[in-house]
Amino acid sequence: MTTLIEVSGLRKQYRSSFGKAKITALDGIDFTVGDGELFGLLGPNGAGKTTTVKILLGLTHATAGHASVCGLPVRDPESRRRVGYLPEGHKIPNYLTARQALSIFGRMSGMDSRAITQRIPVLLEQVRLGQWADVRVKKFSKGMTQRLGLACALIHSPKVLLLDEPTDGVDPVGRREIRDLLRDEAKTNGTTVLLNSHLLSEIELTCDRVAVLRHGKVAAFGSVEELTRTTATYKMVATPIDDSLVGAFRETGAGVERVNGHVVLSVSDLQHLNALVDQLRARGGVLSELTPVRSTLEDVFVDLVRADMGESVGAHE
Amino acid sequence: MKVLIANIEDVMREAAARWTLIAYFFLSTIFIIIFASAINLDIVDGALAGAKLFGREVDMDNNQISIEKLVLGFETGFSVFLYFICTFLAIFATAHLVPRMQEKGTIDLYLSRPVSRVKLLLSRYVAGLILAGSNVVYLMGAIWLIVVWKTHVFNPRFLLGGTIIFLLIAVLLAFAFLVGVFTSSTAVSIMTTYGVFFFGLMLAAHDKIAAAVSKQWQAWTIETLYWIFPKTGELGQAVVAFVGGDTLPERVLQVLSPAPFLSTAAFGAGCLILASWLFTRKEF
Repeated sequence: MTTLIEVSGLRKQYRSSFGKAKITALDGIDFTVGDGELFGLLGPNGAGKTTTVKILLGLTHATAGHASVCGLPVRDPESRRRVGYLPEGHKIPNYLTARQALSIFGRMSGMDSRAITQRIPVLLEQVRLGQWADVRVKKFSKGMTQRLGLACALIHSPKVLLLDEPTDGVDPVGRREIRDLLRDEAKTNGTTVLLNSHLLSEIELTCDRVAVLRHGKVAAFGSVEELTRTTATYKMVATPIDDSLVGAFRETGAGVERVNGHVVLSVSDLQHLNALVDQLRARGGVLSELTPVRSTLEDVFVDLVRADMGESVGAHE
Repeated sequence: MKVLIANIEDVMREAAARWTLIAYFFLSTIFIIIFASAINLDIVDGALAGAKLFGREVDMDNNQISIEKLVLGFETGFSVFLYFICTFLAIFATAHLVPRMQEKGTIDLYLSRPVSRVKLLLSRYVAGLILAGSNVVYLMGAIWLIVVWKTHVFNPRFLLGGTIIFLLIAVLLAFAFLVGVFTSSTAVSIMTTYGVFFFGLMLAAHDKIAAAVSKQWQAWTIETLYWIFPKTGELGQAVVAFVGGDTLPERVLQVLSPAPFLSTAAFGAGCLILASWLFTRKEF
């Protein structure tokens, strides 16, 4: 897989108003995003997500480290030739119609008039704004503006899409449509998508891999499956599960919780789990289901933030 | 070229949608109509037998005045008026171009395109100049045509005076862009640019001011400021000489010394270079 976004040792420090104090927004982050991949950037407010995206677009400059898009350093405007960007809270000039906005941003992306004319109706249909092509943006609802922003990002058929809160203000149906559109872009056109969102469920449903930023560092990195997999917790469905069996399990040091006719076991390792299964069988029990319990991305995220709060409390103490 | 066309389209559409373009040309049209209806000439055998301006008889001491002389007088006086009006309207109509572009949520859309920041800024500058220039052409061209229509006297130097006005607009717009990049404020851009215009007028008397101050360093400061800032006073005189100079090229050449032009152009170029440098370094 070709790497389209590469970030290594990226650091960013902002100076305070009077230039004395320095605030570290990014503290040496590394990650790569491959061709056709859907990549999510997560983190609490101030973690450095938007700064990372802004550096990738040359909107702000890194203090140290290296970032490249489509094989070109981000300081080179040509690196944005095949990049589409949807900023958070974007303001498409409201005196323009949807068609005019797409025409202006298409031309600024290097497209010629004929290509723009052909692309606009297709794209507006894709984002369900076909009927609104010649209406001024100031008449648009928040969701419509967001969908037009997405169309502006897609006008020049980019190879890389950088999206900051793309479903912000969009209704649930619209969200699903945007999600499907992004998946379709990645599958059909091989577009690489970097998604920056607070909506963890969005990222979980859309992205293949995720980086969780905290204090300007990558706190967790991997596929959604890897991040949400827990090896120590299992759901056991078996008959019978009586109090004596639960007591026997607990005696081995396992955590046992009865939930709606099944038990959730917390074990130390796989041997421990096998020992519990042996106990069940030795008592004549029949195992019908044993599955690892996955946490959601939200659980992972909240755990990381709580760890962060714990650190803060510790630091204050 | 595509970037330039996109910026021109953007600037013109914004000017039209925000009524700036309409107000800009509406005001210009009002001046033209007032001018057209103000002149009432009575020409006999190619000479002026009587003239009315704003409904009042022009005193000619019972002598017939050459129509050419009267037209030169009209155009000279009006060129001074246009020098101020064209410049003020142009700055008012274009000073917002950079601050608006730099608004949060908008600048991201422009800078995320494969365009260097210098190219983006300069394209916007050219788009602003086209907007302002089209109004100068409209205003001066229409007045010139009215004069030709009413008097049958052709004085192309009146139109050439417009080029000096355009030069001043280009320089002041460069300054407005510099302030716009630095402060992101339309109001500050307009105020400081008008400030530079009037400061330049004041500095036209730099010799007298330098002679009046008590300390040498103050005199040097005045002289330095004079050479740094645009020569709005001298350029105004140049417009008058250009339009009304009756013994071209001697008188015009005397007034049109290249130094004020070159130093004014250098100020504009310096502002543009500094604005581009700041814009390139700016973080959004």
